[in-house]
Amino acid sequence: MGLVESGKMPKPLTKLLNLSRKYSIWAYQWGLACCAIEMGAAFASPRYDVMRLGVIPFPASPRQADLVVISGTVTDKIVPAIKRLYEQMPDPKYVISMGSCTNCGGPYWDSYSVTKGVDQIVPVDVYVPGCPPRPEALLEGVVLLQERIHNEDMAERWRGGQDRQEPIVVG
Amino acid sequence: MADDTATTTEGAPAAATDERRAALLAVFAEHLGNALLQSHIKPGQGLWIRVATTAWPEAAAVARDKAGLRFFDFLSAIDWLPSPYGRCEDSSVDVPFPPPMPDRSAAVPGYAGGDTRIQVLASLAKAGTDQRVLLKADVSDDDPRIGTWVNTYAGAAWHEREAHEMFGISFDGNADLRHIYLPSEFEGHPLRKEFPLLARVVKPWPGIVDVEPMPGGDPEDDAAEEGAEA
Repeated sequence: MGLVESGKMPKPLTKLLNLSRKYSIWAYQWGLACCAIEMGAAFASPRYDVMRLGVIPFPASPRQADLVVISGTVTDKIVPAIKRLYEQMPDPKYVISMGSCTNCGGPYWDSYSVTKGVDQIVPVDVYVPGCPPRPEALLEGVVLLQERIHNEDMAERWRGGQDRQEPIVVG
Repeated sequence: MADDTATTTEGAPAAATDERRAALLAVFAEHLGNALLQSHIKPGQGLWIRVATTAWPEAAAVARDKAGLRFFDFLSAIDWLPSPYGRCEDSSVDVPFPPPMPDRSAAVPGYAGGDTRIQVLASLAKAGTDQRVLLKADVSDDDPRIGTWVNTYAGAAWHEREAHEMFGISFDGNADLRHIYLPSEFEGHPLRKEFPLLARVVKPWPGIVDVEPMPGGDPEDDAAEEGAEA
C-alpha cells in the first residue's frame, strides 16, 4: 500500500483496485426496525440475489465490513452503538441509510426518543427513501454506490485531499 | 355497555350481573377492608379496583396469595390531565409555546375514580382462566411516590423502572430505578402531559397539508378540501 499512500499509483492500478473493491463489498446489516425485513429480502433471498451484484452480506463483525446498511428507527439510546460500529469498520467504509426513519426520523419526527436522521452521527453515502423502501430500491442504492467506488480516486482519499462527495439519493 | 352497573360502595360486592368478578372483588374487599376505595365491574369485560396509596403493596400480596392472581401482566401509570398542546394532529393552527397549562380539575379519572392527576395501575390475571383485575392507586401531584411491588411480583421491577422514567414516580423499596428505555442522561418525564415535543415546537405538524388525494376520488372535491385547509 506504499504506492497508494504516497499518491503515486498508476491510473490502471487504481482502476483495477477500484474494480476489485466495487465487486466485493462486504455489507454489514444493521437492521433496527421493519426496514430490516426489506433488507433481509434484498440481501438474503434468492429472489433478489444480491451476490450477483458483487455484494457479500456475510461479515461476522463490523471489522470485516466495507459497507453498513443502517435500516430502521435510530433512537437516541442506540446512538453510541452505531457510533462504535462505524468506528470499528476499516477504511474505506461506506454507509447506506435505508428508510425514512434512518434518513430523517420519518413518522417519528416529533418523538422524544428518536434520532432525527442517522447522518447526525455518521456520514452517509447513499440515502434510500421509502417507508419502507422496496428491496429493489436498496439494490439501486448499492449499484449507485458501486459506480461511485468505481470512479473514486483512492490516492486522493488517503491523503485527505478529496472533499467529501455529496451523498447519493436514490430515486 | 352502560356504566350503571358500577359499584362505588366501600368494598361491597358488585351487582349480581357478573358473579365471578363479584366474587373476585369480594376477596379484595375482605382482605383490604377500608383500603379498597372504589371499584367498578363491567359484566363480562373487566374489574377495576382502586386502593389506597398506602395499601398498594398489600394489594399485590392479597392479589397473589388470596385471590390467586399469580400472573403479573403489567404495571404502568397514567396522566389524566388533558394535553396542553392540544391535538396537534388535527390542528392546522400552531399551539403557542409554552402553552397555558390546563386546570388541574380538568383531569378526569377513568373507572373506579381517583383524586389525583397521576395514577399507578397494574393488571393481574390468573393463568388458565379469564380472571383478571386492574388495580389502581392515586399518587400525589407534588411528590409522586408509592410502595414497590418487587417483593410480591419480581417482574414488576422493570415496569417500575419504566414508570419511574416516564412519569417520575418513585417506588419506595425498589433499589434499582435506573433508566431502562431512555438514555441515562435523558431529562424529563416524556409521558407526562406537560412534556414538550421540541420538534413540534420548531415545526408545525405538516401531516394535514400534504395529504395526497385518494386514488379514484373526485379531483374537484380534493382540490376544494385542500383549499379549505390552506
